[in-house]
Amino acid sequence: MGSSTEEKVVAVILVGGPTKGTRFRPLSLNIPKPLFPIAGQPMVHHPISACKRIPNLAQVYLVGFYEEREFALYVSAISNELKVPVRYLREDKPHGSAGGLYHFRNLIMEDNPSHIFLLNCDVCCSFPLPEMLEAHRKYGGIGTLLVIKVSPESASQFGELVADPVTNELLHYTEKPETFVSDRINCGVYVFTPEIFTAIRDVSSQRNDTATLRRVSSYEALQPATRIPADFVRLDQDILSPLAGKKQLYTYETMDFWEQIKSPGMSLRCSELYLSQFRLTSPHMLASGDGTKSAIVIGDVYIHPSAKVHPTAKIGPNVSISANARVGPGVRLISCIILDDVEIMENAVVTNAIIGWKSSIGRWSRVQAFFTLLITQAEGVYNSKLGVTILGDSVAVEDEVVVTSSIVLPNKTLNVSVQDEIIL
Amino acid sequence: MKALILVGGFGTRLRPLTFSMPKPLVDFGNKPMILHQIEALKAAGVTEVVLAINHQQPEVMLNFVKEYEKKLDMKITFSQETEPLGTAGPLALARDKLIDESGKPFFVLNSDVICEYPLLEMIQFHKNHGAEASIMVTKVEDPSKYGVVVMEKEEARVESFVEKPKHFVGDKINAGIYLLNPSVLDRIELRRTSIEKEIFPKIASEKKLYAMVLPGFWMDIGQPKDYLTGQRMYLNYLRKNAPGELLVTSGDGVIGNVMADETAVIGERCLIGPDVVIGAGCVIEPGVRLFGCTVMRGVRIKEHACVSDSIVGWDSTVGSWARVADVTVLGKDVQVADAEVLQMSAKPEIIQKV
Repeated sequence: MGSSTEEKVVAVILVGGPTKGTRFRPLSLNIPKPLFPIAGQPMVHHPISACKRIPNLAQVYLVGFYEEREFALYVSAISNELKVPVRYLREDKPHGSAGGLYHFRNLIMEDNPSHIFLLNCDVCCSFPLPEMLEAHRKYGGIGTLLVIKVSPESASQFGELVADPVTNELLHYTEKPETFVSDRINCGVYVFTPEIFTAIRDVSSQRNDTATLRRVSSYEALQPATRIPADFVRLDQDILSPLAGKKQLYTYETMDFWEQIKSPGMSLRCSELYLSQFRLTSPHMLASGDGTKSAIVIGDVYIHPSAKVHPTAKIGPNVSISANARVGPGVRLISCIILDDVEIMENAVVTNAIIGWKSSIGRWSRVQAFFTLLITQAEGVYNSKLGVTILGDSVAVEDEVVVTSSIVLPNKTLNVSVQDEIIL
Repeated sequence: MKALILVGGFGTRLRPLTFSMPKPLVDFGNKPMILHQIEALKAAGVTEVVLAINHQQPEVMLNFVKEYEKKLDMKITFSQETEPLGTAGPLALARDKLIDESGKPFFVLNSDVICEYPLLEMIQFHKNHGAEASIMVTKVEDPSKYGVVVMEKEEARVESFVEKPKHFVGDKINAGIYLLNPSVLDRIELRRTSIEKEIFPKIASEKKLYAMVLPGFWMDIGQPKDYLTGQRMYLNYLRKNAPGELLVTSGDGVIGNVMADETAVIGERCLIGPDVVIGAGCVIEPGVRLFGCTVMRGVRIKEHACVSDSIVGWDSTVGSWARVADVTVLGKDVQVADAEVLQMSAKPEIIQKV
């Protein structure tokens, strides 16, 4: 089923390491953020299965600086499941978003790929990779970025860019500018030709200390320039900005959804987006029920086959229930993620919350949050703190207790109601 | 014998319940508050009750009075003040109704009080000391919230009254139940007068005021938190003295002291109690948790909801999976939507219901 050409494609997914993804605590205290379940599948599963749609995909590399054993199991399971070779490559130290790619260039070039995709694993979008590849071939540059239009107010949190409306060439790129440059931003999904490695090598061999207009903190200012290792190369500042406007880089705009999964609250929002995508692409993944043999299901809901849900419970919309969870009679779940081995007892209510592994929720208790202040990044005000209640692993909520808009760290037992608190 | 009940004002602290019902008729233990007192007075031999009020009573109150005059074979009349008369003035206003040739003492009750009403014992106590006035006092944990009655060491005689004392002078407070000789009325002018600040201290100084310590429970149920505490005490009293009034504790979802009207329907897999009162015609759907709460006549609590430490007013509906907690008071005909939360403690709100 391959085409007659030998043009292979390799995908590289940056997964980061323990020093990254700290905003994902307390959930990332137990599990690397890339493996946290979104819509019932580990976060990194979504970009990997999107890669599967690329014609002539030869290999998927996960690049990061987590310990190898954290990914070993997952990588062999997903390779089997999706019938795609997936391998985890550990950086001995962080090399930056472009440096990581460069560090493993020999391995990546082993299959002699004509194109290399680079994705960030905490991006939530529809990953239109085959379309991006086709567009990139037409443009003929060394790289094409996925971009999206956002509200002007929120644009400054990202890399803002300006593209030529006719040729789609990347004209100008700047990370987190102080003033408004553009409402088009960098999605963190790229496709490159192997010439990108030359470009990265050129940067690291002649690093210049051009003064930036960006205000640096006192800590940054006191670091001598020599402290930055030659092999630490950031894709945005070191590659995209300098190469913009030189007919090397192009843009491909997506009109679908796009979010970054930077905080647990966003994981709930992104879960919702992926669940609704399943309804279109793989509806068999979603649960259904009308209360007779199985629980009433409303909207898009994922229930792991090993989970047990009582028929008198009412689930959804936007609920993911992971392996071995037990949901008792008369339970109501709305907009939540229930992780493995959780037990929810009769008549409890969970809404706008993430319930950590092995936690237990008592009878008639409520775990909830008032979601009204969390609006998605692309639409406007983004508040990563409010909006979702998070229970870490092995938290016990006693009968009739109400937990509202709070974060509860692992192994805690709550026997009184709390609101707007961080329970250590 | 005769009695006066100080019914007083508009019951603002029991709003929104008192928007729909005059305070004396708000149910307590599935019975209008004032009926507890009228029945206790009847049992003590009172044949005439005067209700001291300060505004025109609605028809529902007039109908109640007519009904129970018949049922209890008593005379129940109103004495309405046209200007504020304080806690003693209303007695002067009702003078002609309280005094007759018999010269017998008369009772004065505060309408918000709930207790065991040992009125026959009080009559005996009053006869024994033969002085002018008797008051009931009750021991409380936090006396500085109220007016403290300082007793003499030897006898059951009152020495003085101290309003909200700054340091401890005694732990007995005025329970709001008095038995007074007609001569007390000669001491009260028809103007705004305080019985605790003006009348009783004078009688005490003449060594003519005696106090009986109230046995059993006592509560002023004029505000929701205290209403629920009083309910707990009252149910506990019934458990000891009239257990037939309560539901049987069963493995079937009833624990502790629960009173339910016989026309109330309770579904399966519920957990009711302790300290719950359920009124006539209520429907408690399956999977409901009720704890420390009052559910008035005609209420429907839908499936899987949880109501604790709250009062649900007549004809209201609490939606499925809803949570009503923390001394929330729902007035008449309030609809709580499914899965809603109503809790007063974090951010107190007043829910305006038309």
